[in-house]
Amino acid sequence: MMGKMYRLPDPGLLIGGSVALLVLVCGIFAPWIAPYHPNDQELLFILAPPVWADGGSMAHPLGTDSLGRDTLSRLIYGARTAVTVAAAASFGAMLLGAFFAHLAGYFGGWVDWIISRTVEIWLSFPPVVLSMLLITGLGIGIDKVILAIVLVDWTRFCRVLRSEVQVARGQDYVAFARLIGFSHFRVIIREIFPATLPMLITLLSLQMGISVVVEAILSFVAMGVPSDVPAWGQMIADARIDMYYAPWGLALPIFAIFLTVLSFNLFGDGLRRTLDPRHTAQRSA
Amino acid sequence: MTEHDILRIKSLEISLMTGHNILNGIDLTIRAGRIHGVIGESGAGKSMIGSAIADTLPQGLEISRGAIEFDGLTLTDMNARTRRDLLGRDIGFIPQEPMSALNPSLTIGHQVCHHLARIGLRTAKTRQERAVELFTEVGLDRPWDLLQSYPHQLSGGMLQRVLIAMAFASNPRLVIADEPTTALDVTIQKKVVELIARTRAAHNTAVLFITHDLQLAADVCDDVSVLYAGRIVETGAAERIIHAPMHPYSRCLNLATPNLSGPKAQLMILPGTMPGPVDRMQMPGCEFALRCPLAEDQCHSTRPALDGVGTEHKSACHWPERTGLITAVEAPTGTAAGRLGEKLVLRATGLGKAYRQHDWLGRVREVHALRGLDFDVREGEFVGIVGESGSGKSSLTKLIVGLEDVSTGVLELVGLDRATAPRADFFDKVQLVFQDPQSALNPRRKIGRLVTQALEGRGGAYSAATRAELVKTLLAKVMLPPEVADRFPDQLSGGQKQRVNIARALCSNPQLLIADEIVSGLDVSVQAQILELLSALRKEAAFSLLLVSHDLAVVRHVCDRTLVMCKGEIVEQGPVEEVFGNPQHPYTRDLVAAAQGPTVSSI
Repeated sequence: MMGKMYRLPDPGLLIGGSVALLVLVCGIFAPWIAPYHPNDQELLFILAPPVWADGGSMAHPLGTDSLGRDTLSRLIYGARTAVTVAAAASFGAMLLGAFFAHLAGYFGGWVDWIISRTVEIWLSFPPVVLSMLLITGLGIGIDKVILAIVLVDWTRFCRVLRSEVQVARGQDYVAFARLIGFSHFRVIIREIFPATLPMLITLLSLQMGISVVVEAILSFVAMGVPSDVPAWGQMIADARIDMYYAPWGLALPIFAIFLTVLSFNLFGDGLRRTLDPRHTAQRSA
Repeated sequence: MTEHDILRIKSLEISLMTGHNILNGIDLTIRAGRIHGVIGESGAGKSMIGSAIADTLPQGLEISRGAIEFDGLTLTDMNARTRRDLLGRDIGFIPQEPMSALNPSLTIGHQVCHHLARIGLRTAKTRQERAVELFTEVGLDRPWDLLQSYPHQLSGGMLQRVLIAMAFASNPRLVIADEPTTALDVTIQKKVVELIARTRAAHNTAVLFITHDLQLAADVCDDVSVLYAGRIVETGAAERIIHAPMHPYSRCLNLATPNLSGPKAQLMILPGTMPGPVDRMQMPGCEFALRCPLAEDQCHSTRPALDGVGTEHKSACHWPERTGLITAVEAPTGTAAGRLGEKLVLRATGLGKAYRQHDWLGRVREVHALRGLDFDVREGEFVGIVGESGSGKSSLTKLIVGLEDVSTGVLELVGLDRATAPRADFFDKVQLVFQDPQSALNPRRKIGRLVTQALEGRGGAYSAATRAELVKTLLAKVMLPPEVADRFPDQLSGGQKQRVNIARALCSNPQLLIADEIVSGLDVSVQAQILELLSALRKEAAFSLLLVSHDLAVVRHVCDRTLVMCKGEIVEQGPVEEVFGNPQHPYTRDLVAAAQGPTVSSI
């Protein structure tokens, strides 16, 4: 928009965004960045400590696990799994949730009733248990994890967006669009969807953090990705047994998850502040 | 009556963090038992005066200079605690929207008694008795029952009475009323204003009455200050300022207000808009000079001081005596009558609308929003619909544009039956102009795309070039410059947005235009622009207009005929002059009496 002054972006947006970008780059370029293949074993270096601890060496900067696999490489490849799942699952959940949210919010009446009740029943299942049940039925695999998260978390989008749609629906410009003969589909796409887009993007970013956690939980209980694909949750599970004399193996993947989720949350929060017109108005007033 | 000053504001200045002033050198004094009106359009800063006294200035604003003295105490020097103690006890408030000022989940009695406890009534029994006493004083029926009611069970007028009762409960020395009647219906407005005047007389309270309504100020206030762009441009006795102003702005405001009696004149149109706080900084001269019909070079270079022009009458103008030279243009007579076509664009016979309500047992109850309406609108005719909220005006417009279905009777539009003909047949022929341009314009579309929105969804028969051409013609029709097309709605002023709103409805050359309260949220000068625009459009475009309004003067100014609606029925219809000049139905008489202004006998 013209006449708008360029101001410093929101700090949360900046910090969260750059960390998230770092994780993303790690995931995409894992084969080039990682020093070793994640599944390569060096049986001479079992449970090697990281470089800053006693007995650490530059050969394995973050040490190795109980099978002699390089922790840094596994973390980097783990980011690949995390990012793939986060992006695909969140996007899928968004599509499904947004679709039903627009239907329910726009048409109201019995459509709204059916969708809202479905969402409520869905939400009354504990999400982690529900996804474990799904994985048990579907089998193990990265695509199954994504599907499980989509099927569990679409309700989150649906609930929040539905009320956004209802607000936009009440605006006179939507009524006008109907009066000049726009079809329902056109009204939703041209008049309502642009109004809910900021919220959609924000939710998407927050959902990515949630997806990372869910993926970690599923991998931890060995119900996520197959065992030859490195994942953070799996690393935590593997390091569990030796946690008393090799705490780093446990701490590092936990830290990676923490950092990634935090960055997505900060990013989402920053986006919400930046995209919310009410906030923009307040800041420029 | 004591004659000492209750409130004395001395060269008050309120500024933004950026150093731009919202208010500039405000001097204001109110004596005990007087009502002092502050009149101004939105953006003039009138509400800031009230906020400054109440210490509720919005974030980012601060008092940068000057002092507020209340009964000898300097409010601006006090600490927050002592100041808070004064509020509600010595200084009362009557808010703008009574509906949102009371907590909907607590009973009226609870809230009033809570307030009474704060001002020092100790036992529950005395509090209740006092509350009942107060309710009786403000003319509320069955005060004991009222204590147990919740805010949603009362009408806006009754709630405002409750709030007035609360404001005067502690016998405050000052009451600040910020647009206390804006959210209320005309007939109730009158009663509320009378009530405020009566109560202040009984308590000998000084009242600061903030309003945008000239007529109202004239009727209720003793003294008036006119505020423009953060400065008082004229102050003095209400009578004189309204009827014999000595500042061009006051005069223009007066001429821009349509009246209910006397000869019809063209409304005064002020060019441009009020300068914002940033623009004002660059103006060495009078802030009004840019829009003033009398401005000369000196006005642009030096700022006139607020000097006395009579007893207790001050004006900030270099040539206050010339004010009288500004006159209204006589409305050309007899233009419209000859142009009426013979064809009917709308014909309603026995039209009714009933809503079905289900209670929790599933029993169906019918609520009749409209009953047995018979009226018609001819080609090129402008018809006004007046009535108070709940009279069914909005239901009727929804019925006509097709947002609701007809329950009983026949509604014929442009020769087609609304109920049986396909919806698509009406899209181009009947259009609606919405009340609130803020909500009616999609903030994410550019103006150019908004005004020609009706072309979308008609297939791709329109090229970009024809569309651009159409945008230009439409904008010209509503007197907007063509470069507006590339802006977003938020970059336009309220009046400009409302014009875009009208242009958009004209896009498909409708035969019938329905305007739902299109000027009710606008300032006097902007309202004048829109009303004159409608009159001008009438001369060139061949459309009929159905203007819904609560303001009789607006209807009189624009329309040929009027329908008066009350509780879902048309109680009177006929030519405007006849209906308003010689009302037959008691309800119409009430409306006309209320619109002519409350008859408060000044003390």
